[in-house]
Amino acid sequence: MKRRLRSWLPVAVVPAVVIVGVLTVPLQAGAAVDLPDKTPAQVLAMIGDSNVKALSGTIEQASELGLPSLPRTGSGVDASASSALELLTGTHTARVYLNGPDNIRVQVMDRLAERDLVRNASDIWMYNSKDNTAVHVTLPDTTGMTRPPEDGLQQTPAKLAERMLAAIDPSTAVTVGKDTRVAGRTAYELRLTPRTDATLVGEVSIAVDSETGMPLRVEVQARGQSAPAFSLAFTKVSLEAPNSDLFDFTPPAGAKVEEKSLPDASALHEKAMSGAKMPATEGEAKKLVEQMTAGQMTAGQLTNGAGMLPGVTVDGTGWASVVELPAGTVSADVLASPLLAQATERVDGGRLLSTALLTVLVTADGRVFAGSVPAARLQAAAVGG
Amino acid sequence: MVSELTVLFRRRRTWAMLLALAAVPVLIAVAVRLATSPVAPGRGPPFLDRVTQNGLFVAITSMVVCIPLFLPLTIGVVAGDTIAGEAGLGTLRYLLVAPAGRVRLLIVKFAGAAVFCLAATLTVAVSGAAIGAALFPIGPVALLSGDTIGVGESVLRSLLIAGYVTISLLGLSAIGLFISTLTEVPVGAMAATIVVSVVAQVLDALPQLDWLHPWLFSHYWLDFADLLRQPLEWTSFGNNALLQGGYLLVFGALAYGRFVTKDILS
Repeated sequence: MKRRLRSWLPVAVVPAVVIVGVLTVPLQAGAAVDLPDKTPAQVLAMIGDSNVKALSGTIEQASELGLPSLPRTGSGVDASASSALELLTGTHTARVYLNGPDNIRVQVMDRLAERDLVRNASDIWMYNSKDNTAVHVTLPDTTGMTRPPEDGLQQTPAKLAERMLAAIDPSTAVTVGKDTRVAGRTAYELRLTPRTDATLVGEVSIAVDSETGMPLRVEVQARGQSAPAFSLAFTKVSLEAPNSDLFDFTPPAGAKVEEKSLPDASALHEKAMSGAKMPATEGEAKKLVEQMTAGQMTAGQLTNGAGMLPGVTVDGTGWASVVELPAGTVSADVLASPLLAQATERVDGGRLLSTALLTVLVTADGRVFAGSVPAARLQAAAVGG
Repeated sequence: MVSELTVLFRRRRTWAMLLALAAVPVLIAVAVRLATSPVAPGRGPPFLDRVTQNGLFVAITSMVVCIPLFLPLTIGVVAGDTIAGEAGLGTLRYLLVAPAGRVRLLIVKFAGAAVFCLAATLTVAVSGAAIGAALFPIGPVALLSGDTIGVGESVLRSLLIAGYVTISLLGLSAIGLFISTLTEVPVGAMAATIVVSVVAQVLDALPQLDWLHPWLFSHYWLDFADLLRQPLEWTSFGNNALLQGGYLLVFGALAYGRFVTKDILS
């Protein structure tokens, strides 16, 4: 009998060792980090100072928005739109390679497929392995262009950070959270908490690399939800320059290649070359920058920037603001489309799409209300407006 | 060990299973070859549309087709048969009369199953490459990332994929070995092993159980496609090897405990 028990011993020990190993390895990775304390302004300034030119890394994106799963195929579904939406939902892993401002490669790794975006100087390639198609865009040559003077922006990052903090302070509390570790690097965590209860956003946190000031992780918490509603984070990152072959892209033989040029690239280019100025826009932009840097702008005013567009009005300020698009924005046949019916639910005053962070109300006359607020607030805005 | 392998590979059943596996790529290649209209991209199994341009994709397409069912089926038969088969034939006690010991028998049996895993995946890969070369042009291979590699490197990558799939199947083999020590009816052990593999894949497909997914031995099965990216992505290879190693340890230990304490009556 004793011999029997002894023989079963490994059976108990081996799984125990495996389980202990499984539990301790992530714990070690998350071991406490203690960095020298910094104020929110200092951390913000680090981001501004960040000067990472080359990196290769893996990014993981996860969302728990509570969106209904959208049909992948079927009539009336715009392929590019649904692909973009698909990127926003669920979990995705992408590899990112960066070398200077002109060499970028992003690979979205799908199961048994991949979507690629390659930029090599003025060539941009988009490749989708699922249907073996490539899109080629040539950017206008910018080497001869003179850049507009940037005197409005020529300030030290530290000063800029302080002014930005002052600007958002009325609506948002900014604090530095516990030091963490992201992708094996130590990081400060900047937490932005809305000062109002009227928004769906609970907190936005940004992990900033303690060495380079590069943001390593962004998480958005929804009110009353334990897992982040949206997170984008490096799982692996190396600051060495990636192999330069990566940026030389030639579509494989047999791929369908679509050439696209930017709509009025040549016209823009000519304008820039001849030194013609666009006073209205430039002046406006300058004013905006001045206002922002002078700390005169609140988040509400920032969102009011949307109000410059014709017909768009913004109701409320800061996190709880509601954007309204005028009647007729959504045409009648779209209103009647089965896709809309599937994605939204019927409520008083129209159809509602509610996610963890954003609610959108489409009224029967085609007005659209959107905001990071509870549905009742949108309905009130629809009735009141 | 050698005698175990000769017994395994002399069996008609083993050859029949390998032949069936070899037939899958042949079937795919002939069907695509005879089809009048070209395969539209994005339809059918992944990579199917590439086959007409490059025969080497036959091997990859058939690997995708074989992994969910055919490969686990054959592994289930071999691994489920290991101990229960000997018990069912009444030869187990004669094997144990020899001073070899039970632990050694268990290890040899598992090694036999592992060699079969390798043979099975290589069969699919080699027969796929051969039929592809016979029916379609062979040339540089376009990877998932859109980059193109030469024939030599693509053969290397095919071998890597075969290695990946072999490792992926080791966990299932260990489960089969354990189930095989529980019974004297080989068919029962085979069926149970196959059922386990199907259940794992069904669970893996349920989004409600996503916390469980990284722990299922079938979770990384289709991620061999990471070896078709440029640059090579080794993360899933490492994760898969770790996971399969864990299954091997746990179910190897369970099989050991069961087999050493078991009263062998047949």
